[in-house]
Amino acid sequence: MTPAADIPLKEPAISAAAGDAEQLERARIDASTRVPVLMFYASAMVWLLIGTLLAGFVSFKLHSPDWLSDVSFLTWGRLRPIHMNVMVYGWGSMVAMGTAIWLMARLCRTTLRHPLLIVTGIWFWNIGVLIGVVGILMGYSTGYQWLEFPPYAAVVLLVAYALIMSWAVLMFRFRRGDQIYVTQWYLLGAFLWFPWLYAAAQAMLFVVPVQGVMQAAVGWWYANNLLFLWFGAIGLGTAYYMIPKVIGRPVYSYHLATIGFWTYALFSSWTGMQRLVDGPFPAWMITASIAATILTIIPVATVGLNHHMTMQGYFPVMRYSPTLRFTVFGAMSYTVFSVVGILISLRSTARYLHFTEASIAYSHLGLYAFFTMVMFGSMYYIVPRLVGREWRYATLIKLHFWASAYGIGLMSLMLLVGGLAQGASQNDPSMSFIQSVSSVLPYLRGRTVAALLLTISHFIFAFHFGLMLFGLGRTSTVPTFLNPVEAEGAEPHL
Amino acid sequence: MKGLVSLFIGLFGTFAFSWVGLTVIPNLQIGALNPQMDEEGTDVYPAPKSGMAERGRRIYAANGCIYCHSQQVRPDYASSDIDRKWGDRRSAPRDYLFDRPVALGQDRMGPDLSNVGKRAPTEEEKPAAPPGTNAPATSPAAAQSPSPPANAAPSKAGAAGSPPGPPAAAAPSPPAAAAAPSPSPLASPNPNGVPPVYSEAWHHRHLYSPRSVNPDNEDSTMPAYRFLYEKHQIAGERSADALELSGRDVPPAGWEVVPTYEAKCLVAYLMSLDQSHPLKEVKSAPGAPQPAGSPPAAPAGSPAPAPPKK
Repeated sequence: MTPAADIPLKEPAISAAAGDAEQLERARIDASTRVPVLMFYASAMVWLLIGTLLAGFVSFKLHSPDWLSDVSFLTWGRLRPIHMNVMVYGWGSMVAMGTAIWLMARLCRTTLRHPLLIVTGIWFWNIGVLIGVVGILMGYSTGYQWLEFPPYAAVVLLVAYALIMSWAVLMFRFRRGDQIYVTQWYLLGAFLWFPWLYAAAQAMLFVVPVQGVMQAAVGWWYANNLLFLWFGAIGLGTAYYMIPKVIGRPVYSYHLATIGFWTYALFSSWTGMQRLVDGPFPAWMITASIAATILTIIPVATVGLNHHMTMQGYFPVMRYSPTLRFTVFGAMSYTVFSVVGILISLRSTARYLHFTEASIAYSHLGLYAFFTMVMFGSMYYIVPRLVGREWRYATLIKLHFWASAYGIGLMSLMLLVGGLAQGASQNDPSMSFIQSVSSVLPYLRGRTVAALLLTISHFIFAFHFGLMLFGLGRTSTVPTFLNPVEAEGAEPHL
Repeated sequence: MKGLVSLFIGLFGTFAFSWVGLTVIPNLQIGALNPQMDEEGTDVYPAPKSGMAERGRRIYAANGCIYCHSQQVRPDYASSDIDRKWGDRRSAPRDYLFDRPVALGQDRMGPDLSNVGKRAPTEEEKPAAPPGTNAPATSPAAAQSPSPPANAAPSKAGAAGSPPGPPAAAAPSPPAAAAAPSPSPLASPNPNGVPPVYSEAWHHRHLYSPRSVNPDNEDSTMPAYRFLYEKHQIAGERSADALELSGRDVPPAGWEVVPTYEAKCLVAYLMSLDQSHPLKEVKSAPGAPQPAGSPPAAPAGSPAPAPPKK
């Protein structure tokens, strides 16, 4: 495998002499994060499987409502919030924290201190999610989007978060080197924004409840900011690390990265109210959010351009590196997600798409096509470095990628087109309401097919991850490539 | 990226800007509204809901009704909500004064429910409508107990004492209320013994067996909420609130299906949903058939333009 060794797919730009010390240091840092990060990933995987099965149930029950509807805790209206919350707090947040802690340690070039406290925090977080899930099952859902967990579960989550993230932020104090890399801006932002966001939403909804419609405003402010400033920030930060790392080339422009970051923080945090378009609110709130949504085109364009220019000439590497393939798919989906977000929030299109399944397509584009795919990519990069083994089967990685990519693609398409059909009939008063439901039903059945694809994909990945966890990966110095690296032909592209 | 301090100030500042801008300032603007009333302090709208309806709201939230049903009427220039007779006017912040949690909704796999209580048939028509043998006994009895509009209207009217007042309060005027559901083909009772649409008995039957209330409803994606109902043996007399069912839903002879207390609360909540009362800050649809509340409300609402405007 000599040619492969020359391809900078794993640890780029290390000269033999300087490399040894540096690699040793990296190994030490990785070792300090091993237990907590693997625990984050393992918990996240369990929640992912639960959430995926629930998603299948929810999708199927929506077009076949009589299936398993006689028991209170299997009713659609309880399974759906459980699916969402399991994905948001169980899968998404845990995998995000795992990746973020590992990235932070690497970028601060310091070992992770007090991993046992973080492990305690992980237990608390899992317990908090479990309490919340049981709470919804028993019928104690609060009725606010993504905040359905009863407030006592939120307290556990906040305590767990404090235990975990205080150490991640503390690493910053012990960092070596003055340079603060782009990824660190995003991660620090996410670390700071999430607790503020979550605590503010809890306080304004449950501790000192705001009046009437303001609850809906706070709810959507929370949901959209969670999507952008928590998942989005960690997703973008990870992409900023993984893409240059895998191809062994610095980020194209620091200047663009700065512009992209600050416009992202400024504009995306003002979105949310467009989900309440024409509702009982002062018009300025909704208009401000629509304007902010449109302005997110600036960070989208700068970040997209930056990634694209970094990748320029290196796209063929996606043939080989699983990390790069997932990450670039996610980074491209970020653009799609934002453009769809802009398109569905304009007043002229909202007339046809508000109150339809299109908004569900939007959430899934953000949380899955963008964020989750980037996280899968980061796991393909990080896990081998923690367990000291390489991924066992390239075929499984390929299957995982294609099932996920086709699954989410089909799902978004079904929901967007179905939403348009639904909205067009809803908007025509000469059609009875039930006709709008009939018009979307075929698309919902198509969505169930997509859910099936995603289920397959996740179980494949969970199996592969399980092999790694139990030390059944390959022992090799060369990472697992998706396709065999040919002796010639590959190198000139790099 | 010069220093850490400027990074933190930036992170803090951008988010504080959004927090203040989208939650704190709007809260100053619409977060402390009062109910609207006329000069004498009567004709108060909105009023807090009854205890049963409040409990019903929690059942509504717990079972995820909010994911398919909205409770907001958008203005006529932006939607066909008013054309669909979901309301006579757009919803305003004041309509939700006492709502907690507020259930504005996000999707419409089911119709809007902002005014579903108002669209119920009124007491007078009820005896005429239900065809079944037991039904006449059923609906009035069920109607008496939990319905907040029925409770609220007399008490308020008593307090008001002004001659034009009583009908203006929460009770919808009969002709208009009857007009609202009439465009739908459901209005006339059908041979299956379905109670008049949006009556309490209808809600119970719809919750128990959503696709049985209307032959056109085959595509409805609403799940049945049978866990809110009990099937038990008839002991002596048939219960007054037993459901009139048809087809496969009919319980075996000697058995009956009755709503649990939770189901009654949920229906009480649905029956309490009514935004028909005119609000000063919102004009009712001009072209639409005269809003239910408006003829009697004209005296009550007449001081609207000048004095109480803030």
